[in-house]
Amino acid sequence: MSAMTTYFIRRLLLIPLTFIAITFLVYSVLRVVPGGPIEQAQLQIKMAMMGEGGASGMMNEAAELQIPAAAMEELKKYYRLDKSIPVGYAHWLWGIVRLDFGRSYVYGQPVLEVIISKLHISLYFGLIGYFASWLVCVPLGVSKAVRHKSGYDTATSILVFIGYSIPGFVACLILMVLLGGGSYFDLFPLGGFRSENWAELPFWGKIFDQLHHTAIPVFGYLMGGFATMTMLMKNSLLDNLGADYVRTAFAKGLSEKRVLFVHAMRNSLIPLTVGIGNALGLLFAGSFLIEKTCNIPGMGLLGYTSIIQRDYPVILGTMVFLVLIRLTGNIFSDAIWAIIDPRIRFGK
Amino acid sequence: MILKLIYAAFLFGAGYLFTHKVLPRSFAAAGRRLGLDMKPAPHWQKRFKRFRMFKRGYYSFLFITTLFVMSLFLELMINNKPLFIRYDGRVVFPAIAEWTGKALFFLPPRPMDRKSDFGQPGDDEVDYRLFAAARKDPSLFDRHVAAREAEIAGIGDQLAAAKKRGLFTVEERQDYRDLEEFIPEIEAEIDLLREAKGIFAAGGAFILMPAYPYSPRENLLDMPGQPPHRPSFEHLIGTDDSGADVFAQLAYGFRTSMSFALIVSLSGYFIGIIIGAIMGYFGGWTDILLQRFTEIWASIPFLFMIIIVASITQPTFLLLAGLLVLLHGWIGISYYIRGEFYREKAKDYVQAAVAMGASDWSVMMKHILPNSLVPLVTFSPFNIVATIGTLVSLDFLGFGLPIGSPSWGTLLDQGMKYLKYYPHLIVAPSLALAVTLFLIVQIGEAVREGFDPKVFSRLR
Repeated sequence: MSAMTTYFIRRLLLIPLTFIAITFLVYSVLRVVPGGPIEQAQLQIKMAMMGEGGASGMMNEAAELQIPAAAMEELKKYYRLDKSIPVGYAHWLWGIVRLDFGRSYVYGQPVLEVIISKLHISLYFGLIGYFASWLVCVPLGVSKAVRHKSGYDTATSILVFIGYSIPGFVACLILMVLLGGGSYFDLFPLGGFRSENWAELPFWGKIFDQLHHTAIPVFGYLMGGFATMTMLMKNSLLDNLGADYVRTAFAKGLSEKRVLFVHAMRNSLIPLTVGIGNALGLLFAGSFLIEKTCNIPGMGLLGYTSIIQRDYPVILGTMVFLVLIRLTGNIFSDAIWAIIDPRIRFGK
Repeated sequence: MILKLIYAAFLFGAGYLFTHKVLPRSFAAAGRRLGLDMKPAPHWQKRFKRFRMFKRGYYSFLFITTLFVMSLFLELMINNKPLFIRYDGRVVFPAIAEWTGKALFFLPPRPMDRKSDFGQPGDDEVDYRLFAAARKDPSLFDRHVAAREAEIAGIGDQLAAAKKRGLFTVEERQDYRDLEEFIPEIEAEIDLLREAKGIFAAGGAFILMPAYPYSPRENLLDMPGQPPHRPSFEHLIGTDDSGADVFAQLAYGFRTSMSFALIVSLSGYFIGIIIGAIMGYFGGWTDILLQRFTEIWASIPFLFMIIIVASITQPTFLLLAGLLVLLHGWIGISYYIRGEFYREKAKDYVQAAVAMGASDWSVMMKHILPNSLVPLVTFSPFNIVATIGTLVSLDFLGFGLPIGSPSWGTLLDQGMKYLKYYPHLIVAPSLALAVTLFLIVQIGEAVREGFDPKVFSRLR
């Protein structure tokens, strides 16, 4: 077995360990802190009783506001809070293995269903954003490299640095102020995945409406990796243009276009694939900042609202997705890297 | 207006001189006094020179550092408390006292200046701006006195009307007596105002307000209209929805963001250097175990974790900084230091140091570390940019610094609520954020140019 195979096998074996370590950490944090399901249930029952008590007029507060001990036990048993943290965690983990993520307190549905119902939304924006960033960054990086140290290079560099210094969600906010109606122009809707009457629209109306809602968030996604990707493209192309094989190609009389786009480009694109693993995480999990800003009901917003609403099964469920995607994504991108670039050998 | 601009320019000039002339020189002088050689090594001098050659970055460096050092004295420049106030022989320095109170936070807080001691009726804190206005326009006293006299007349009318109706029940009599007791109180206030007018006229009152006389936490509810207010001459960027001045919040937010980022980066570096050095220097099983641990730790979605913790307890400045360092700040740099140590370890000078019997610690910190500082320095500006971005996002989500601390993210969050009608609440903080980060990125480029110059050779 080659050193590389063992390397990847070792990394794959590390996934369960990492997964267990992280989820156990989160599980214990959630178990230790106040505001869990029992408190929530108590609050709900109290509210209900207050309503009844208010109706009947008189009420004995201290006596009536207690949850019956038996019901309390049942609740605890349901959420496995009667067990110690490791035992409860083991039960939860066993559930995950059987793809039983538990039930959301807020939605009242199985967590897996909730997550899957949101997944395509994040995927939609993530994919478009990712392809858009390739479409923008690669040509820009190439043209910058070709005209290295020219006025064009400096001007676009400043653009790139501006892009670097504005976080994606802030860019979305600015665009919404400028183009979202109200103060300046009224070109785009203020967030959301689709219009409310989307289902009633005609076919072309549907497409237009969807694209209309896509523009601003995708711009935010684009801003996220814009600067790094462009500069990576530029620098790696410049590196390659100084390499010996490019000199050879020139020396045998090839045209500059051919050298640039066939010889140098192929090698220069390799470093850009490193980001694939990271982008994969973004594809599925969405950037919850952008999702919150643009009010897109995707995975990111789900994770965020579940934390606010203390919907523990959903928090843990999104965490499982996030961690798994990130772990496999990293290995995946390293593997791609090793496949397309034979010079790279891991595990030495 | 022009006077204010000149004043601001003068303040900035003074800040520049202090930051880039006084501070480094006194630092060097102190070092020499301690017997240190304060001249940088030749290769560092060369790096500094290259750094200065990159003009955009060098000027950004001058600008940002000047602003940051100035922002440490913000209480003296942007505050609703005066630098200096004198009234009837009583001299107080409220803004300076607030500044020293913050710098020496362990001392007991200073009691506030009460209105009644400064010619204003009431027991709460002095309205310094009213004081300043009264100095400019003495007729203010007459208006206040007239208003109070009208009040007395009104009460007199009420009393007369009540007498006419007759006082039958106990409550009515009680109300009557309560109203009657108001009159001497108001009369005392009138006396105070008349006395104050005399003191003001005799030149017994003096006040020196800071350049921008509003504080970021002050709710200006007596302005006409409902907050948020649009930008005006008086409030350069308007107010937010609690009536607090946005410009003041931006300025204080700059200080918060910068110091937060500096603290997080520095402590992240500290931990990262130690862990990376241990990994790289000892190698073997120590390296493997620590690397696996780092790998696991790095896979924690840190923003998510911070939000979970912050949704439970409202974090303080230091807790938030600590969390960020612990969960995220040290990881990136530890990889680089590990690599550098691996490379440097094999070199002859390390062998020589080991052969001379230097301890592991001294080899690591005294011999190897100074030779692996380049990635540390080149990454620090970008590290600061990332940390400021994180702080803004956390504040934006409402899981950042405690409520009431001036911050850019909170303003952005508010701006989102008033997106359609008050764009200044978004435009101003995002502009401040973008400009600050842009300048820091420029510094980063200059540092990279100076410390790690890349020459691309290209054949055409």
